[in-house]
Amino acid sequence: MSSDKRNICHSKTFEFIYNTYAKDIRRFLFFKTQDINKAEDLMQDVFIKLWNNCGSVNYDKVKSYIFSIANNMFLNTVKHEKVVQDYNKRNRKEDTNESPEFIMLEKEFMEKLEATIASLPEKQREVFLMNRIEKKKYKQIAEQLQISVKAVEKRMHLALTTMRKEIGDI
Amino acid sequence: MKNEHVHNNSETFLAQWLEGQLTDEALKNLVSEEDYTAYLKIRQGLDVREQLEAPVDGSFSKIQERISKKKAKVKPLYTNWAIGIAASVLVLFGLFTFLDANEVIVETGYGEQKTLVLLDGSEVILNAKSKLNYDESTWDKERKLFLEGEAYFKVAKGKTFVVNTDQGAVSVLGTQFNVNSRSNFFDVVCYEGKVGVKTSEFETVLLPNDVVRYVDGRVTEVIRSLEKVPTWIHGESSFNSVPLRYVMKALEDQYQINFDASAVKDSEIFTGSFPHDSLNIALKTVFETLNITYHEKEKRNIKLRYKE
Repeated sequence: MSSDKRNICHSKTFEFIYNTYAKDIRRFLFFKTQDINKAEDLMQDVFIKLWNNCGSVNYDKVKSYIFSIANNMFLNTVKHEKVVQDYNKRNRKEDTNESPEFIMLEKEFMEKLEATIASLPEKQREVFLMNRIEKKKYKQIAEQLQISVKAVEKRMHLALTTMRKEIGDI
Repeated sequence: MKNEHVHNNSETFLAQWLEGQLTDEALKNLVSEEDYTAYLKIRQGLDVREQLEAPVDGSFSKIQERISKKKAKVKPLYTNWAIGIAASVLVLFGLFTFLDANEVIVETGYGEQKTLVLLDGSEVILNAKSKLNYDESTWDKERKLFLEGEAYFKVAKGKTFVVNTDQGAVSVLGTQFNVNSRSNFFDVVCYEGKVGVKTSEFETVLLPNDVVRYVDGRVTEVIRSLEKVPTWIHGESSFNSVPLRYVMKALEDQYQINFDASAVKDSEIFTGSFPHDSLNIALKTVFETLNITYHEKEKRNIKLRYKE
């Protein structure tokens, strides 16, 4: 039934919307929160809200709807955290230092990283993807490609220096 | 392999560092301060990139689980006729009805509850036999809605949020509160923040746990509530010194029944609660304390009488 396809309350349609946008929403929330676990949790909340409200959302506007829900949820967590932070500041003047390990990953940085990986020389890219995506150890990669472990390591090393160069000042 | 020298290897140390064979401290000694921060950021970027690309089907089953749990809580119906009613209620009152393009109307049937999220992220839980409507197109400019019946609001911070009822208006900036407006009964409970209540006859501001009640054209004494959220959300309706006729009305809305109360005094005051999942227990808890007997004369018509 074609009407089911546009009815968000229909579970197949809901699942389709989820599969289409879940990653984008998670990514969007990550850049806002800079916390992948929080992004994952909020992403689930977004889709639960969509489901609870399925009857009142126009199918053609579902994308902007879920993104604005995601944004609102993010803003709510910010408000909450600000209250918590202010409270902590007031009560513990001693250690106001932010965690020194915190590294901000901006959207631009991630896009640059992505582009750099895509433009790596073939040999470096092959080793790099086997290691990072297929989760293979250098030794396994060496065996598969019939080269020495040292050669694998050299390519990985080169890949990282290339990225460092491409990314430039940060 | 023996040639795997971990240290001092100028052509491979980054590879070893990425695999954890070389510590961050060791890397710090091998590269400039600036490079060191850049590499830390690259490593984190790579980790996050993988997590961002990770499949989302696992989360989908979690979502399904959370959705089904919620459903189970909201509808604890046991008897056959109740299931029959529930089914017809679902058919009769679809979730949402659109009258014209911009006006959104949400209605609940007998014994039904609905949770909804407004465009600003505010949440509303609508109790049985209640109706809420608002204009979607002007929502950005003014957060204003109209309520008949009972609802619990969790308002996201922002512009003034106004709930209009036949009997008065409730306005807030961002807070949690319950409004019950049925015939001549008007009751507002504030759970968080500040709530302004205004009727044609009075105006007041509620602080957390304050209650204002307006029955049959009179403000009755303000009793403080001890609950964090209204009990009806968890499947129980509670009353604190409420005239019996409003308790009967709540029972009627919950169970789709009618009372013949001609033989009893419906202004009697009731304090207590009844569950939403069992009509028998509900009738027992309300009427036994008041020394009233009840019997079903015809289907869903219940005659009340004082005990001999």
